Amino acid sequence: MDQLAAREKLEQDVLKGLRRPGKWYLLGLAFCTLLFVNALVLWGYQASQGLGVAGIMHPVGWGVYIANFVFWVGIAHSGTLISAVLYLFRARFRTSFNRTAEAMTIFALMVAGMFPLIHLGRVEIFYYLLPYPNQRNLWPNFRSPLVWDVFAITTYLIVSLVFFYVGTLPDLAIVRRRMTGVRARIYSFFSLGWTGSLGQWKQYSRLYLLLAAFATPLVASVHSIVSWDFAVSILPGWHTTIFAPYFVAGAIFSGTAMVIILMVPLRRTLQLQPYISIDHFEAIAKILLFTSLIISYAYLVEYGLAFYGHNQVEMELFRYRALGHYSVLFWLMIICNSLVPLTLFIKRLRRNLAYLFVVALLVNLGMWIERFILIVTSLARDFDPYAWGTYTPSWVEIGITFGSFGLFFMLILLFVKTVPVLSMSELKERL
Amino acid sequence: MMTQTYQYEEAEAFLSKLRELLQSGISQEQLELQLPYHLPEVEQLLELRPGPLRFFALTGGLSGFLGGLGLCIYTALSWPLITGGKPIVSLPPFLIIAYLLAVLFGSLASFAGFLLLARLPKRDNLLEPSDFGNHFVIVVKGEGQ
Repeated sequence: MDQLAAREKLEQDVLKGLRRPGKWYLLGLAFCTLLFVNALVLWGYQASQGLGVAGIMHPVGWGVYIANFVFWVGIAHSGTLISAVLYLFRARFRTSFNRTAEAMTIFALMVAGMFPLIHLGRVEIFYYLLPYPNQRNLWPNFRSPLVWDVFAITTYLIVSLVFFYVGTLPDLAIVRRRMTGVRARIYSFFSLGWTGSLGQWKQYSRLYLLLAAFATPLVASVHSIVSWDFAVSILPGWHTTIFAPYFVAGAIFSGTAMVIILMVPLRRTLQLQPYISIDHFEAIAKILLFTSLIISYAYLVEYGLAFYGHNQVEMELFRYRALGHYSVLFWLMIICNSLVPLTLFIKRLRRNLAYLFVVALLVNLGMWIERFILIVTSLARDFDPYAWGTYTPSWVEIGITFGSFGLFFMLILLFVKTVPVLSMSELKERL
Repeated sequence: MMTQTYQYEEAEAFLSKLRELLQSGISQEQLELQLPYHLPEVEQLLELRPGPLRFFALTGGLSGFLGGLGLCIYTALSWPLITGGKPIVSLPPFLIIAYLLAVLFGSLASFAGFLLLARLPKRDNLLEPSDFGNHFVIVVKGEGQ
């Protein structure tokens, strides 16, 4: 096939995804929306009744809301790794995943950003977290990691949005060319009148490189800052220097698993097999395997530090994690995060998409459990045995957690029908 | 000389015509190029310089860094209350805010610079889009045009 025909075919193949949705799509969208609306109703119920309807109480003041926050921020990281870091390293396989991974970053951050608000007792005064001039001359405490979080997540969301939008500009112009009527006008508006002149491409390539350079340190710093929410405190199990790299590796691990969860069905339903090969999935599976090894190493180091340090409180906490009230969850986490991914050493399994999909699901389950265990056990078993306690999430917290998945997948489904899921202009370079 | 337009389906033919035109003495100012995707070889042929976009990034990044640091120091001094035994001006945590704002303002300034330098949004093209689709196009403008 000549180059022109190949480029035309690429556009037709990718834009097939923007056609009128089918029955299964609408059913999936309705289900996700229902989960989300249910979560909104529960949040309203919590706002009217007070935080008492959630299971969090002394001594466990941080429960699944904060676990969800850390989990979703982690999911976001892989998107930036694939779009920015792999771009700087010129990894060609990234073009098969980068658009969806970038969208995943934005949606995961939007979901994550809701959780500190849900966790607030009085959500209507959330703006106290922001530095704004006020009569009382009161400002946020910039020495607090919770304020660093506000800045880190806001910065990450805005930079990711800009990066995503800039990346879509040439593709939006292609959609505009291939659409008619109102839809063409809408895409024309968002493509800003892109024509593909040399001057535009020149500035575009420079901007893309600059944004990739700005976004790359965020991959390491944002989850490091989230980890300091814990590490800066003095609680056993939290007050440790390995938290930042441990969290970053965990974030990339869970985010990569989410990319696989999204891309395997998308590739099949949108018939994108010519553009997303098994080799590309194998490359992603290697990232999953590598980060799983880092995570497993971190688990070992945590235990090593606790027992070698000979601090009674620390030792008791780590004994409790493995053998206490939450031991079933702990061992499930080890199976999902450390043992199952080891099977990806076998090339045949790495290249089996159904298997990879199941592994990715288990990894995300394991990573959610990891956040839960890490947060809850340290609070449930701190210094004073008299103050020990346990925590079980209430039905309000469980409903809101499911609602966060509903919101995330609802946004992904809407994205699939409004923006090309593959970066056509970048794929054309590969043809 | 009248304005001439050359249209190509393949990148190689487009590049060789561009090379030929440049060797025949056509200046860059006379050329208008349209591309379906970014082709780094064109920039090499035309020996394009890096351009001023990086200065937007630098200015944005620096002002974000200094602004972030200034905000933290100003607000800490405007209510100088010692908490947790830490100094009023605690540089290590303030540097985190300064770094994040450097990234934020650097990115936003780069984006603003891009819109300015690439002359976007293009009003005429928003209303009546002109597009060469998947073709490589060279327009050689006549003298005085």
